[in-house]
Amino acid sequence: MSVLIIIFLTAVIALFAGVFEQGKFSRYIGILGLMIAFYVSFLPEISFFSQYQHMFEFGANAALFTKIAIVITILLFFLGGFSFSNHRNHQSELYALMLFSLCGGIILFGFQNLVTLFLGVEILSIPLYVLAGSNKTDLRSNEASIKYFLMGAFATGFLLFGVALIYGSSGSFDLYKIHEFAVVNPKNLMFILGAVLMLVALAFKVSLAPFHMWSPDVYQGSPSLITAFMMSVVKIASFFAFFKLMTIGFLGITGEWINIIGVLIIITLFLANVMGLAQTNVKRMLAYSSVSHVGYLSLIFYGMNSLSSYNLAFYLFAYSLATVGVMMCLIWVEKLKRETSYTAFNGLAHTEPILAVAATVSLLSMAGIPLTAGFMGKFSIFAQAIDQAPFLVLVAVLGSAISIAYYLRLIMAMFFPKESSFKTSERVSLTYNIVAVFIIFALVTMGVFPDLFAKQFGL
Amino acid sequence: MSYLLLTLLLLPLIGSVLVFAWKNPASKYLALGIAFAQMLLTFYMLTGFDFKPTVDGVLQYEINYPWSNYIKSNLHFGIDGMSMLMLLLTNILTPLIILSSFNEKPGYRNTFYGLILLMQFGLIGVFTSLDGLLFYIFWEVTLIPIWLIAGIWGQEDKKIQFTTRFFVYTFVGSLFMLIGLIYVYNHSASFTLTDLYNADLTSGAQTVIFWFIFFAFAVKLPIFPFHSWQPDTYTYSPTQGSMLLSGIMLKMAVYGLLRWLLPITPEPILGISGQIVLVLAIIGVVHGALIAIIQNDSKRLIAYSSLSHVGLMTAGIMASAILTVKGTLMIEGGEGALIQSFAHGINVVGLFYCADILYKRFKTRDIRQMGGLARVAPKFAVLFMVILLGSIALPLTNGFVGEFILIKSIFDYSIIAAVIAGTTMIFSSVYLFRFYAKAMFGEGDEEVLASAGDLTGVEFSVLASLVVFVIFLGIFPQPILDMVNSSLKFIFTSMMN
Repeated sequence: MSVLIIIFLTAVIALFAGVFEQGKFSRYIGILGLMIAFYVSFLPEISFFSQYQHMFEFGANAALFTKIAIVITILLFFLGGFSFSNHRNHQSELYALMLFSLCGGIILFGFQNLVTLFLGVEILSIPLYVLAGSNKTDLRSNEASIKYFLMGAFATGFLLFGVALIYGSSGSFDLYKIHEFAVVNPKNLMFILGAVLMLVALAFKVSLAPFHMWSPDVYQGSPSLITAFMMSVVKIASFFAFFKLMTIGFLGITGEWINIIGVLIIITLFLANVMGLAQTNVKRMLAYSSVSHVGYLSLIFYGMNSLSSYNLAFYLFAYSLATVGVMMCLIWVEKLKRETSYTAFNGLAHTEPILAVAATVSLLSMAGIPLTAGFMGKFSIFAQAIDQAPFLVLVAVLGSAISIAYYLRLIMAMFFPKESSFKTSERVSLTYNIVAVFIIFALVTMGVFPDLFAKQFGL
Repeated sequence: MSYLLLTLLLLPLIGSVLVFAWKNPASKYLALGIAFAQMLLTFYMLTGFDFKPTVDGVLQYEINYPWSNYIKSNLHFGIDGMSMLMLLLTNILTPLIILSSFNEKPGYRNTFYGLILLMQFGLIGVFTSLDGLLFYIFWEVTLIPIWLIAGIWGQEDKKIQFTTRFFVYTFVGSLFMLIGLIYVYNHSASFTLTDLYNADLTSGAQTVIFWFIFFAFAVKLPIFPFHSWQPDTYTYSPTQGSMLLSGIMLKMAVYGLLRWLLPITPEPILGISGQIVLVLAIIGVVHGALIAIIQNDSKRLIAYSSLSHVGLMTAGIMASAILTVKGTLMIEGGEGALIQSFAHGINVVGLFYCADILYKRFKTRDIRQMGGLARVAPKFAVLFMVILLGSIALPLTNGFVGEFILIKSIFDYSIIAAVIAGTTMIFSSVYLFRFYAKAMFGEGDEEVLASAGDLTGVEFSVLASLVVFVIFLGIFPQPILDMVNSSLKFIFTSMMN
């Protein structure tokens, strides 16, 4: 709770700092505030905040995911600066909105009540509708904004109707009371219908196919930094909310929804990977790849055990780091070339080796090649699910097999041409190189010493 | 003692980082020095190695540290005779492969040598790890450097298409193996080798796992219907890439078959699965040899010949395994496959290097456009001939010992199969002599021949070192047979239970 307050205050200060200058301060204020919040998240909760009417609990899992989300947001803030190149004015609002969105995410990490869930989802999403459209002169950005808003509104409708049905049948908004109700009455039709509606709403939010159709357009149209934020922090928050709701609230009726998720996983993995293969634009490819990762992640619902939430955290952190690693490369290429097709990346490794290696390690991590974090993430999720759902794991393996082809295409574009298509006069800033080295280091360390991450987060 | 193995494992990794960092043409000497030190270290380890341990399959130079409690996996490395043989192969060939590229001058050389050393690190890991997850990890680690070598230095016009296909093929195979290993792991106490051997698996599950894991090895070897990536990749990779792939990397699969697949899933060998594999392998033997006969591209010819030889190794292993599971302990197939792995590694590296030398002289890989080189390059003609004879399996060369034992082990299982598989010896002399005759004898373009010249110092030293091994092992194969005997006994005995 104290972390949430710190980030909220940081956002307000960053917003007001924009009155005095054009966005430089707010970025540093944001980084400073996030770092303080990161530090505070390791401290025990102040007792004044610990009881909050059973609306919000900041337990071990919530703390773990909060730390991950904060680390990723800090990295993204370091990458800020020229990435909103179309409009150098009014940048502080954008940083503030990202922080507000992160607040929504933290509420989702700690929700214990369907009202808090709803609040979290909305606080997470509404700033994003604005952020997606923040490239005001770009038609695609406007399209992204309106598309995201309409889909978000739909999802909210489903979510609220679901909440209403759940409340109608169980008589409570409290997650644990709902859990008790579901265990006692596993055949209550109104309750099951509510659960399915909420599942659909959250499938929209995490973009599980066939509820994913907004995401490629939105991810492509938004400014790249915002896309990275949506693919990483927003995905962490919404997926964790999804996970918590299904595995705590609706645990008693698992049999009713687990098959729906199984079908969604198959559609997602097949559709996203095949569509990803067909893309010529890297940003759009990454969007489909992001959808496919939700498919792999959803295997977490199979063969649940005490380590599941840790496996989820590991996978999400690995995936988010990798996303930042590729997106920073893309931001740089987009700035120089004004486009993001595969050919735009030709020979990047010769002029920006560190950036290219970071992107390569990230892509290999996404593909699940050993000695990277992504491999450990995929491994633990597959190992958990294989006994209960061998067929789905097989589908996931085939999905990974398809996905490797489009990840390789980007690596090949960066490394294989003999000549670089970039001017050597334009070099990337030191900050970018530092973030790149951090990402390489983090991904490899997590891949080589998987236990280190566990100790770091108190597991 | 275990520090020796640790050094052996880490030296190429540290070396590759140093070579990557040192952007200087002289970095090739550093790479060669490290690979050479690696070879000496392996020989030193051989002196302290117990060839006839009292307990079968006992591990020497063992390292065992806990790695991850979360995954119940250990950093567990060790060497038995089989691993030692593979380490010798890797560490003898790597310095020669590095040396063989010294005359070439394309860009980014330090990256090239760094990648070769990284590859060596992966290979040593594969051949020494005794933990399922580590095995898988090193198995994949070898893939990235070879892919980059093929992709960056491959033949310009077609490299993207073929390197992608190569990577996707092998990656898909590996993923299936991972799933198989995970399933076994979920039914055993940990990823340790012996725990995986003793995993509690039903007969049906064993069959599925057998095929999943076999798929990875079948792609890497490659076995008949999974080989379509191989000729193209061997052809369009740079010579050193082809050498690494065919000389060392495919031996990972032979090794994996013996160490990981057969003892973990012995039941399907007895059923139809074992026979299917045997039949596929024999089809590969004949198929590869027949296609090699009509090839005019020198590297392609060697690629198909490799396909044929590998088929024979697999057939030998499977024949002995089937007999063993039925109740009579037979290790000949394993012995033959291992000694043939070593011999084939030496021979195929030599053949690829000869093809490369021919390419440098004639500026083409089409053997119909070559001719007459023996007149101007007598040293080359002799060395090439010896390597060729080793490949054909002439008695008193290294190839003969392995092929003889392999065909004998197939004979024990089925005479018809042995007769069909034995045709490899006839066919290989057909295609290799055709290759030799076209390139070395007959009329040649006088202008080309005048400027061709005999072997350079680097070329001579590489080929001569290989020839020493060809002859030495042909005359004196017993040490290798002794070396692998006890580990094979252990592996085949654990299949019987």
